[in-house]
Amino acid sequence: MLKTEFMGLQLKNPIVVAAGPWSHDGHSMLKSIEAGAAAVVTESVVSDTLYDVRPYIACDSMGAQNIRMYSDIQVEEWEKEIDLVNEAGGVVIGSVSAQTPSELGYLANKLEKFGCSAIELSVSNPAMEALEVVASHADVIFDMTREVVSAVDIPVTVKLSQNTTNISKVAKAVKAAGGSGVSAINSVRGIIGVDLENAVPALNTYGGISGEYIRPMGLASVATIAQSVDIPVCGVGGISSGRNALEYIMLGASAVQVGTAVMTDGYEVISDILEDMTDWMNKHGYDSLDQIRGKALSNMKSFDEMKFEPAVSTASSIPCESKCEKCVNLCSYHAISRMGEIVDINKNSCNGCGFCVYVCPTGKLKLDW
Amino acid sequence: MNIKQIAKEAGVSVATVSRVLNHPENVAEATRHKIEKVMEEAGYRPNWFAQGLNFNRTKTIGIIVPHILNTLYMEIAKGVEDVALQKGYITFIGNGEMNPKCELDYMEHLETRRVDGIITMFSSIDEKRLREFEKRGMPIVLIGQNKEISDCNMVKINHKNGSEVMTKHLLSCGHRRIAFMQGFDPIEENQSMREGFTKVMENSGNSIDEDMMVMVNNSIDGGYLGVKKLLSDGHRPDAIFCTSDIIAFGAMDAMKEMGVKIPEDIALAGYGNYRMSNMVEPKLTTSEIPAHKMGVYGARLLFDLIEAGSEEKSEPKTITLQSRLKIRKSCGHTERIGEMF
Repeated sequence: MLKTEFMGLQLKNPIVVAAGPWSHDGHSMLKSIEAGAAAVVTESVVSDTLYDVRPYIACDSMGAQNIRMYSDIQVEEWEKEIDLVNEAGGVVIGSVSAQTPSELGYLANKLEKFGCSAIELSVSNPAMEALEVVASHADVIFDMTREVVSAVDIPVTVKLSQNTTNISKVAKAVKAAGGSGVSAINSVRGIIGVDLENAVPALNTYGGISGEYIRPMGLASVATIAQSVDIPVCGVGGISSGRNALEYIMLGASAVQVGTAVMTDGYEVISDILEDMTDWMNKHGYDSLDQIRGKALSNMKSFDEMKFEPAVSTASSIPCESKCEKCVNLCSYHAISRMGEIVDINKNSCNGCGFCVYVCPTGKLKLDW
Repeated sequence: MNIKQIAKEAGVSVATVSRVLNHPENVAEATRHKIEKVMEEAGYRPNWFAQGLNFNRTKTIGIIVPHILNTLYMEIAKGVEDVALQKGYITFIGNGEMNPKCELDYMEHLETRRVDGIITMFSSIDEKRLREFEKRGMPIVLIGQNKEISDCNMVKINHKNGSEVMTKHLLSCGHRRIAFMQGFDPIEENQSMREGFTKVMENSGNSIDEDMMVMVNNSIDGGYLGVKKLLSDGHRPDAIFCTSDIIAFGAMDAMKEMGVKIPEDIALAGYGNYRMSNMVEPKLTTSEIPAHKMGVYGARLLFDLIEAGSEEKSEPKTITLQSRLKIRKSCGHTERIGEMF
């Protein structure tokens, strides 16, 4: 039911584990495969592992900030790590990160020889590159992709960044250079918090934010690419449930990557996601991902195409949670009041914004006309 | 104990002991353990000479550095050594002094000592001579460019781009009259930097004062004397861009002696990101040369050649790396964010 194809790779399901500390060696990648992932991306392999930054991860309930986004294992030693996963029947995508096309080409060629089935270029590190990350320059991405594509015979995907003004332009450059796919998105530059008592920002510097914080941006990026470029997309950013994975697929993703959730919830999150997806599909009568892929894209409309219905908030007979006054207190137009058990909506004041529908914990309020 | 005695002690043939040393995967586990135990108890170390004769490999490589006291070159050598050790190789280091005769002597010595390959940094030897070594079967990789050499396995840096980025930074800090203090060596690289500098200055409509394009020795003394001469001749540039940090260190010394404040009176930029550049006062704005990485890639290319053997002849490979602007305090920039990345 969950079988999918991404850049010609036949995957038993769409769950790929993203590049990150949870894929730092063969044994950790194996854990992802054992938990049910169809493929794993290695932690990004770099030209030289000289810098050892620590600590490099901070997190809260919404996600994580990371400032070391590459492997501390030299490329030569990755061969045996990749072997471990291949022997177990897993698919390995080699992530490479470097400053110049020729470095990327060299590393990608080595990883291909070591048994990787595809290459992912990690060229959008928000913590270490300049204010403008490499992946915000379509011309540079074109040169890098072209060099790597000519250095290997396996598919090449580029991990794109939200730290750019036009992600579609960059995806087009990948396609023009012969890339087989794109992954969207990498972590987004941010500071997860400030220690007020000591006046210190998390990890003392800008980092890459991942997890739930960035899912809305990931979803929008995937939709944008799917609407503008004919290239397979792997959706990345804040996936921790089957629902989240399906959201990406409905917006056009061929496969998805799970990363931060593996770190915060453990490798078992992978099997939970797969189970969740199967349940939802069974319940809604789907037996293949092809039936839902891109389905939500057709419901994305321009303002010009939207018919603005004169809908206003309407209360159903579902009882309120006891003592809940959220809709009454939070309505910006003061249109909602309560008389005992009855929620009363002043149709003349209500602007139909829809906020109360999201605020109501019981689903009592709906927009209607 | 020698290999024969080990064989006798373990009750196996010499060939079996040899297999344990060279292809342990081809020996039954029980036999292997027995032999390893005997070797361990006897403190046996294989004879390196004999192994070299057998396999035509000495597991040694040669590195030729231009100036052994220059820490940047030592960082490159460390990068080579890190990969070599991982491969079970040791390295011989020779000091070529940027002197083709001296360098050639070293190469020949290394060849007669049967090293498996040679890495030469910023080579002063003509391409033709290098090619002769290769023809005799010696794998050679060049790191850095001194002479113009086109058709060798090589690791190089796009210095033209690095220099353009630095020049643009100096202009963005408001400096217009910029002196260029160029080291005599490495010739080819410094020439690329000069081209990058000239291109940006001309494209931005700024004139270049030929009197402020100074050639100096690539050393602390070179920088010191260069600045003394430049300023004593009455020139007052807004900024001085040196083609290496060590030239900049000397320049800094001279400027301090002459009561010139950096960057208030004259801004100063180096190139290379030597370790000391972050220690001097003011901290030196420079461009980071990925020295260790140059060494690592040099060794990778060399081992690719060694492991491919003589049958597999492939096109020479070039790995091009990029230097990277490091904004610190010596050029008078105002945006602190510039120092963050």
